[in-house]
Amino acid sequence: MLRRTFLPAIFVLLAYGFAVSVEFKTITAGVAIFLFGMLSLEEGFKTFTAGTLEKILRASTDKLWKSMTFGVLSTTVMQSSSLVSVITISFLSAGLLELASGIGIIFGANLGTTTGAWLVAGFGLKVKLSSYAMPMLVFGIILVFQKAKTLRGAGYVLAGVGFLFLGIHYMKEGFDAFGQGIDLAEYSMTGYPGVLVFAGLGIVATVIMQSSHATLVLILAALAAQQISYENALALAIGSNVGTTVTAILGALSASANGKRLALAHLIFNFVTGAIAIAGIFQLMEVVSWISSHLGIGPQNYTLQLAVFHTLFNFLGIIVMLPLLGPLVKFLEKVVVADEIEIERPMYLSGASGDIRDAAIEATRKETIRLYDLAAGIITDGLSIRRDVLESDEKTKRIVKKSTDIIDEDIDELYEKKLKALYGAIVEYVITSRGGYAKGRMREELNTIRQAGQHVIEAVKGVKHLRKNLIKVMRSDNQFVKKEYDRLRRQIIQVLRDIEEARHSQGLSRSVLPLDQVKLEIEEKTREFSHGLDKLIRKEYIDVQIATSLMNDISYCREICWDLVEAGSVLFSAYDLEDEAALRSVALGEDDIIEIMEDSNTGAAQ
Amino acid sequence: MKYQKLLNKLKDILSEERQAQLEKYSSLKKVLKSLRAEKKKMEKEMAGDIDDDTRQEITSKLKVISKQRKKGLQVLQELKDERDGKHK
Repeated sequence: MLRRTFLPAIFVLLAYGFAVSVEFKTITAGVAIFLFGMLSLEEGFKTFTAGTLEKILRASTDKLWKSMTFGVLSTTVMQSSSLVSVITISFLSAGLLELASGIGIIFGANLGTTTGAWLVAGFGLKVKLSSYAMPMLVFGIILVFQKAKTLRGAGYVLAGVGFLFLGIHYMKEGFDAFGQGIDLAEYSMTGYPGVLVFAGLGIVATVIMQSSHATLVLILAALAAQQISYENALALAIGSNVGTTVTAILGALSASANGKRLALAHLIFNFVTGAIAIAGIFQLMEVVSWISSHLGIGPQNYTLQLAVFHTLFNFLGIIVMLPLLGPLVKFLEKVVVADEIEIERPMYLSGASGDIRDAAIEATRKETIRLYDLAAGIITDGLSIRRDVLESDEKTKRIVKKSTDIIDEDIDELYEKKLKALYGAIVEYVITSRGGYAKGRMREELNTIRQAGQHVIEAVKGVKHLRKNLIKVMRSDNQFVKKEYDRLRRQIIQVLRDIEEARHSQGLSRSVLPLDQVKLEIEEKTREFSHGLDKLIRKEYIDVQIATSLMNDISYCREICWDLVEAGSVLFSAYDLEDEAALRSVALGEDDIIEIMEDSNTGAAQ
Repeated sequence: MKYQKLLNKLKDILSEERQAQLEKYSSLKKVLKSLRAEKKKMEKEMAGDIDDDTRQEITSKLKVISKQRKKGLQVLQELKDERDGKHK
């Protein structure tokens, strides 16, 4: 009930807001454009997954000090910690980064953003990024229309950043009226109440202006004009540091669970840092004047002292929060639960030493078995059959007959995020990483397992093709075609169940050999399907167009089954390495199976 | 001939490749033995009182096992030839 009324209620409220306030319209449009920018940015970064960008990011963020340095440098260059944090959120959403690395970048960005205070205080410089929005959008959109994937990806990134700036620009415009109404001199106060009020004001001002830099300029201007005391200015700086996290929170609205976790980490970090700075503001002031005197900053030069203070309390925040990074990650994972598909990461490869033959082979095998299990789930989803079918004792025919509802899963996304990423890690381990030094039989064995992984991937790709027509058929009224597609579904499910049976049996029956029997059955069934199809065409139960689709799908079904059996033969053999080699030399290939069938036909004819 | 056999034996002990070959040979023999036992079991089942569906199923399994054995024996012969220094 609440769910059904929520969206219309929001629409009505927004429409009312648009009617009564022009500023409201501008602000909400700004938020919408900003969120669209986030989506575009994420789309762009997805193009680079497993590519050069990922490699660069991984290399520059694989250790905490590296990710922090990355955060410091990128924020110094971009002069916007908000932008660095939203880009980091989209990196996380696209699966290019780990959460801990992301948090490292955010820690670094907080330190990096203090360079802005030095620039503004020292040189009065301010890099105005919003003026780049329009050219970025134009160049970005032109690139989006290009055929080359990399160019298109770069286009999405460029347009995304452009939209982010444009969104921030509109939000600022909308809030302008409120911003002009803020007269800091009116609130000048001393002692802790003053610190708290001004910290609050700093938060509000930064939320409104969407830029801690803008607040900083305001603070410095007010300080120079002696509208506020030095103490109040410091409190404002603390507040602006907390307020700047709003942009990241806004950016996380459309992000994945990890993106949301990062935004929360950003808020926690800045909040804790702010709390420490407020609690120890008077002590910090003394430290600042001590450092300033050593740096040659005059006691009356409050603007540069403010920059020292800004750097000092952010640095203090990092020192306090760094030891808590591990618990923080755990806390975030507990608080923000993933409700969308997460990128699958290897579980066994990272800890396995490539120098030890059995450990490397076992790790690769276990990881590929994980790949197989994930694929089996995706395949059943793709065929619109519930996942627990593989453990059930119910007859396959009955299960398929009962499964008339389409399972609405995004198979393409599951394939991209679950399988491709994991298989990529396996291939990388076998070919380029430590496993790459493997020689002789170890090399051979690793390659065989990798090939099994390839079969798994091919099987899922086949299901993706098959699913297109299957969904159409499941929605249609043609019972003849439905029946044929049910037979195809049954065949694939049966093969999965046969493999599962072989996997859980003992001795010779748990080896490549019983799966040869499955291969023969696949070929016999395929022949049956083709004969059935001829009959349907002859009797004009189906038109030629459907017949062509069915013909293709029979072929897909055959390939899917073969790929699954080939993968199962390698992955679920219980014999040791020497025996496995012997077993594989006895296992039947496609030609052998066809030979058996031909022999049977000849026998039957005679 | 006797010397040749002795020499082969010595080669088996010393060469890593030969050792691997020998391991494969004995593994294959083990597999073939299991297959033969499986085949015999099925033939015995066929001789008993069974329904048509089971008969068809066993027939199909027998075809596969026979083919596997044929293939295995071929590989075994090749390994034997290699070990004895015969080339095709």
